[in-house]
Amino acid sequence: MRAMTLAAFPRALTIFVTASAVLAPLSLIFYQSFLSAPFFDARKTAGLGAYAFIFADSDFWDASLNSALIATAMVVIAVPLGAMLAFVMERTDLPGKRWIEPLILVPSFVSPMVLAFGYVVSAGPVGFYTVWATEFFGGAPWGIYSLTAIGVIAGLTHVPNVYVYASAALKSLGSDVEEAARVAGASPFRVATTVSLPLITPALLFSAVLVFFLGFELFGLPLVLGDPEGHLVLSTYLYKLTNKLGTPSYHLMAAVAICIVAVTFPLVLLQRYLLQNTRKYATIKGKAGRMRELPLRAWKWVAGALIGAWLFVGVIVPLSGIALRAFVSNWGYGAKLSEVLTLEHFQSVWEEPTLVRAIWNTILIGTIGGAIAVACYTAIGFSTHRRNDGWSRFVDYLVLVPRAVPGLLAGLAFLWVFLFFPPLTPLRTTIFSMWLAYTVVWLAYGMRLISSSLLQVSSELEEAGRSAGASRGRVSRDITLPLLRHGLLASWLLVFMIFEREYSTGVYLLAPGTEVIGAELVSLWQGGAIDVVAALSLINVVLVGIGLALALRFGVRLRD
Amino acid sequence: MAELTVEDLHLAYGTNPILKGVSLTLDRGEVVSLLGPSGSGKTTLLRAVAGLETPNAGRIRIGDKAVFDGAAKVDVPAEGRNLGLVFQSYALWPHKTVFDNVAYGLRLRKVSGTDIRTRVSAALDQLSLLHLRERFPHQLSGGQQQRVALARALVYNPPVILLDEPLSNLDAKLREEARAWLRELIVELQLSALCVTHDQGESLAMSDRILLLNEGRIEQQGTPQEMYGNPATLFAADFMGSNNRLPGRVTEIRDGAARLEGEGYALWGRARHGVVSGKDGTAMIRLERIRLATGPGDNRLEASLTTSMYLGDKWEHLFHVGESRLRAYGTEPLAAGTHWLEVPREDLWVF
Repeated sequence: MRAMTLAAFPRALTIFVTASAVLAPLSLIFYQSFLSAPFFDARKTAGLGAYAFIFADSDFWDASLNSALIATAMVVIAVPLGAMLAFVMERTDLPGKRWIEPLILVPSFVSPMVLAFGYVVSAGPVGFYTVWATEFFGGAPWGIYSLTAIGVIAGLTHVPNVYVYASAALKSLGSDVEEAARVAGASPFRVATTVSLPLITPALLFSAVLVFFLGFELFGLPLVLGDPEGHLVLSTYLYKLTNKLGTPSYHLMAAVAICIVAVTFPLVLLQRYLLQNTRKYATIKGKAGRMRELPLRAWKWVAGALIGAWLFVGVIVPLSGIALRAFVSNWGYGAKLSEVLTLEHFQSVWEEPTLVRAIWNTILIGTIGGAIAVACYTAIGFSTHRRNDGWSRFVDYLVLVPRAVPGLLAGLAFLWVFLFFPPLTPLRTTIFSMWLAYTVVWLAYGMRLISSSLLQVSSELEEAGRSAGASRGRVSRDITLPLLRHGLLASWLLVFMIFEREYSTGVYLLAPGTEVIGAELVSLWQGGAIDVVAALSLINVVLVGIGLALALRFGVRLRD
Repeated sequence: MAELTVEDLHLAYGTNPILKGVSLTLDRGEVVSLLGPSGSGKTTLLRAVAGLETPNAGRIRIGDKAVFDGAAKVDVPAEGRNLGLVFQSYALWPHKTVFDNVAYGLRLRKVSGTDIRTRVSAALDQLSLLHLRERFPHQLSGGQQQRVALARALVYNPPVILLDEPLSNLDAKLREEARAWLRELIVELQLSALCVTHDQGESLAMSDRILLLNEGRIEQQGTPQEMYGNPATLFAADFMGSNNRLPGRVTEIRDGAARLEGEGYALWGRARHGVVSGKDGTAMIRLERIRLATGPGDNRLEASLTTSMYLGDKWEHLFHVGESRLRAYGTEPLAAGTHWLEVPREDLWVF
């Protein structure tokens, strides 16, 4: 019996640490929201004053409405486009699919902050494309600072989120149902809209909820694009609260945070429910036969043109803008590209020690931090692997919790944790604080990677180890872990990219010692340092690109 | 001496009972088959013995050591039971070579390096696998993988070896060869083996004793000859062999024999337990026991030939008697029309 309690110890420790890391920050936000002043203020009293204040603030209601409008627009734009894109990529003979696929996923790997900035320098009032269009055609019929524009851009950049789920569902669908429709006389477009896509309704429904949820998390895009015309969404309202009162209004921020979580948490639970349904649906269909591609013939021009247009607007415009802006000293009407080329922005990055540290820290947090995060996720994965008890179900739900807390709030909550618990305070100005916040924010994502790798290990391989005489721990070490190797490497690369891309979590944790590129971008953008932002953005894109190239080189599946 | 004893084992998944009180013993050097249709609980029983499923009640003893006792709250984990288990899928570890797969159990038992080499080599040699020892599982054929799985389970000399559908992953022709080879190996090494199978032919050929499971209970147990030649229940008779069934009414019972009358026939057969005169009954006879006759006689019936199928070594004839179908083997093709069939009294069972 003693041996058994000893063997259970690492598991208990893993669950305890995970629960603390997940629940402590959230409880602190909750607690803070019912105080009248910051929790470290001696004059604080308990009450609902914070909620009363924000509910009386018309800006709060404007921001809520804007969040809902943008989230709805994103669903309306991203779901149909993502679904059609998935159909074309998965089921038709469109040429060049192999190299289009990674391009489609690019927007989901580039920081939204960088993308938003890219749109400003490309399509803003004096952006590259605006200037070129005005010079050629005498005018550029677009603006990017209106609420509509923010909704459209957010919708277009979230197409990949729909695409990955729709294409996974289409993969599990036999091609015979499509061939039957073809034989009955349907064109490829009819096949898609009347047969294939209706059959994957559960997956589309799930991605619609996901995109709607992501709409409420949106921070970088509305921060950059909403500023000129003063459009606020919930997250930017929270961010600007600090400036509003001039004093640290932690209780108000906490109240807004709780309001956001009150919207996002039910959405996360709904996603979980729908996802289980999707899986059920997929297994009922059983094994798809050999997949045959639908010949597009003349339709391929239509499909190709649509994909090309989307890639141009969603990927090429923002990224080319950043790449150009990083190398020009200034830009506007009348500027000649050949005369303004320069490397001085990179030089100023290089001469600024905090920025060099930011780059260095970002690389560290992605590589070493990513590896440690994957190790933590693996430990949590093992604590529930092949165990169907109450603790496993608890961990299952526990890892979902951070998913409902947008990075901006999580960063804020961790800042408070480090201030609240004196033993942790010295770590506050080390990169550890940033790493901890990143690891918890991406817990659900990481756990999905790990558990899908764990599922690939057949239970019989482990049972064979048990009956050969190996204890549970020994089986994990000698059999499960070695078989997981490729999955862990893949997870590490994906977590690396995610950590390079992350920006909102670091906003409140940014301090001398914890600089990372993502958070620096937000802070520099607020300060108006466009040139440096352009150079740093490009460096950030290059870092993510290296991860992407490695992932493609090692054949890592970029989606689950 | 009993190497393995299972007493009154109960196991349920939630509210769904899988095993409803199963008992069995396995003596040293004996091969016992657990036979039954899918869902009968045979694999669950094997896994419970291995320690991979936790029963709700009952006792399991290996030798004189209790490894599970529901009442005394004893539950030795799988790794503490020292059994050899061969999985249906073989479950060879893909990241280990053949040698390392087989050596793993010895390494866990802290056997010294040189001993491991000699013992693994001996085990591999015995199964003619020695030349493959550096290969990985994916480089082996199905038959070779099966032998590696067996070597892996045998190498540390477990008192009992458990086999879960050991032959079902092999193709039909290989399966018959492997069956003979496995039986030979078990006898040669004097292994005590518990073997799960759903194939009655395999269980007849491989085992010293058969336990027939039906819906979580043991329907009948006995030697292969008893199981095939003297089934106690309709289920047992029907599960083994290829059979003809004739429905009818029991009209008379005398000296352990029962007379069954149906549309177009009245036959005497051996009365099985529970047969009552005046009630409906079912007569059952193995295909190979029906003989073609030249004319009317004792326990014969007249049937019209529907068609004949050529099987290579014999013919299978299809007859109709009233609403019932009868199948019988013959050495010659038959002319169309009606024929007389003899149903020997001692080979016909009435349930």
